[in-house]
Amino acid sequence: MAPVTLKSVTKSYGATSVLHGIDIDIADGEFVVLVGPSGCGKSTLLRMIAGLETITGGAIEIGGRVVNDLEPKDRDIAMVFQNYALYPHMTVATNMGFSLEHRGGSKAEIAERVQWAAGILGLTHLLDRYPRQLSGGQRQRVAMGRAIVRNPQVFLFDEPLSNLDAKLRVVMRGEIKGLHQRLGVTTVYVTHDQVEAMTMADRIVVMNGGKVEQVGAPLDLYDRPANLFVAGFIGSPAMNFIEGIVTNEGLVALGVTLPLTNSAPLGTKATYGIRPENLTLAADGLPAKITLIEPMGSETQVTMTLGDHTITGVFRERIAARPGETIHIRPDLNAIHLFDASTGLRIE
Amino acid sequence: MKTDLSPRMKTALYGLMCVLLIPFVFPTWWMITSSVKPISDIFAFPPDLWPRRFDLTTYARVFELQPFARQYWNSAYIAALVTAGTMVISSMAGYAFARIKFPFSNAIFMVVLLGLLIPSEVTIVPLFQIFLGWGMINTHWPLILVPIFGAPSVFATFVMRQFFIALPNELEEAARVDGLGRFKIFWTIALPLAKPALGAVAIFTFLHSWNLYLEPIVFLSSTQMFTLPQALTQFTDAYGGAMWNIQLAAATMTAIPVLLVFIVAQKQFVEGLAHTGLKG
Ligand SMILES: Nc1ncnc2c1ncn2[C@@H]1O[C@H](COP(=O)(O)OP(=O)(O)OP(=O)(O)O)[C@@H](O)[C@H]1O
Ligand SMILES: [Mg+2]
Repeated sequence: MAPVTLKSVTKSYGATSVLHGIDIDIADGEFVVLVGPSGCGKSTLLRMIAGLETITGGAIEIGGRVVNDLEPKDRDIAMVFQNYALYPHMTVATNMGFSLEHRGGSKAEIAERVQWAAGILGLTHLLDRYPRQLSGGQRQRVAMGRAIVRNPQVFLFDEPLSNLDAKLRVVMRGEIKGLHQRLGVTTVYVTHDQVEAMTMADRIVVMNGGKVEQVGAPLDLYDRPANLFVAGFIGSPAMNFIEGIVTNEGLVALGVTLPLTNSAPLGTKATYGIRPENLTLAADGLPAKITLIEPMGSETQVTMTLGDHTITGVFRERIAARPGETIHIRPDLNAIHLFDASTGLRIE
Repeated sequence: MKTDLSPRMKTALYGLMCVLLIPFVFPTWWMITSSVKPISDIFAFPPDLWPRRFDLTTYARVFELQPFARQYWNSAYIAALVTAGTMVISSMAGYAFARIKFPFSNAIFMVVLLGLLIPSEVTIVPLFQIFLGWGMINTHWPLILVPIFGAPSVFATFVMRQFFIALPNELEEAARVDGLGRFKIFWTIALPLAKPALGAVAIFTFLHSWNLYLEPIVFLSSTQMFTLPQALTQFTDAYGGAMWNIQLAAATMTAIPVLLVFIVAQKQFVEGLAHTGLKG
């Protein structure tokens, strides 16, 4: 186990700059999720930590040691790949023991470690199979087994669940989290799925366009997003944004005036953010015209027009109204986010 | 690739395939049956599909007229060496061209490929002079060295390179993380997965060497040193007339290893294919 520190890490492919100075401190034993839209550089960053990509600038430290020029094998990391990358011509047991074999472990020792890992992951009865004889979830487990047998300092995961169906994804999510709680190994986990990020992470790093937008605990990011990007990225369905001007009556936007508690200077051009789940039905609320109703059972998702803006609300109630009718909604005053319209930064 | 055909379509398809098979199977059939006919029966009209009289002495005569066992050995060990050498060189060179970044690798690969464009008839005279200088005329060295460092090996390198390019890079990265160096990755990961490509390389290299005709004629002069294709032309009577039945008996024996190579390598081929692909 070891802390991982990234210091102004940059990456360019020729003239194309892909990462523009990444600073992240990952504590010993922490589970950190890198999340962001496709192409933002998550995989590149992870592969740089692994040693599979060269580091253009800055430094990466694992366990206090700069590893910039070390080969992957000398960094004491284990990686789980998106497509599992199991060796097709080796059995599950050989796959899992392969790294130990090449590090000169004795046969008995390797067998013992493989048995131990297989026991944890429920693979004991599959050890003699070949990868092609396994289901997607089983392959995923073998890939994890291969990572844990060696007892590395750091686990690296690159979208390990993206090839699984929704149900299995939830199961494996739990298993990975459970494994982390059991082994306590520092973990860096890449995903573009914000639900995965929210449920698994100790801390989330939100990336966009080769930069870190915000680092924080899942609920911190949810409650206090530092900017419009993070606000829009974290949470599902996404936060509603309405642009307007701060006045005494609240935020004046096209066709609607929204209540405010924040103390932004009057006249500020701002973006008002409110999460769908922070809207409630209230007889004295703002009138909104329904365009779409999606009942989910436990809750109802409603798309509606508020003034000139299309917004989404999620309500605990079942709603009898039909599209075209008007309901009255009220934003939760404690859950209003305000962002500077020009910089996109949060206004306290 | 499973398609559901109606029984009638299936019958029609198999019928068509049987018809198309005739031009391929007939010469082989003719060769084998004629090798056990007395020479006078070979030209009987209408031709006999099944010999009306058998003469099995033809096979013994093959060995009396020529040092055929010796020639068989010549062909076999030359083809084996050429095949082994080509597999080693082409798999390593193909891997390097596919996976290792080095300056001008693509340009160098192009130059290597150009070797395929030069017909062997063009290079045979200079090669003869080179081997003459090395004192290797009427030895088997030219027949071993020329293919291993010539066009067949270039083609094999091309095949191997294409295969390695298509092999998922993630596997090698996983191996790097697992602690393997470049050569071990090649040896324990890439090469075992390249079995289908190696099988193809083995088949065509072996066949190429086995069937080589121009080079033996140019480089070899004594009967003891001859290879099979060359030996086959030697079955003539005192007046230069071909002894067809004996020649066909020799030809039948020459064809057997070809069939064996196909059967063995093809199994590798199919097995190898089943292994590749990250997801089944
Ligand atoms: N070898 C390369 N040469 C040039 N550009 C590259 C190379 N590899 C990646 N990039 C670029 O780097 C950027 C980041 O890629 P990366 O794979 O890290 O994205 P990602 O965040 O993992 O996306 P995804 O969620 O789709 O996997 C992309 O814009 C990509 O085009
Ligand atoms: Mg990626």
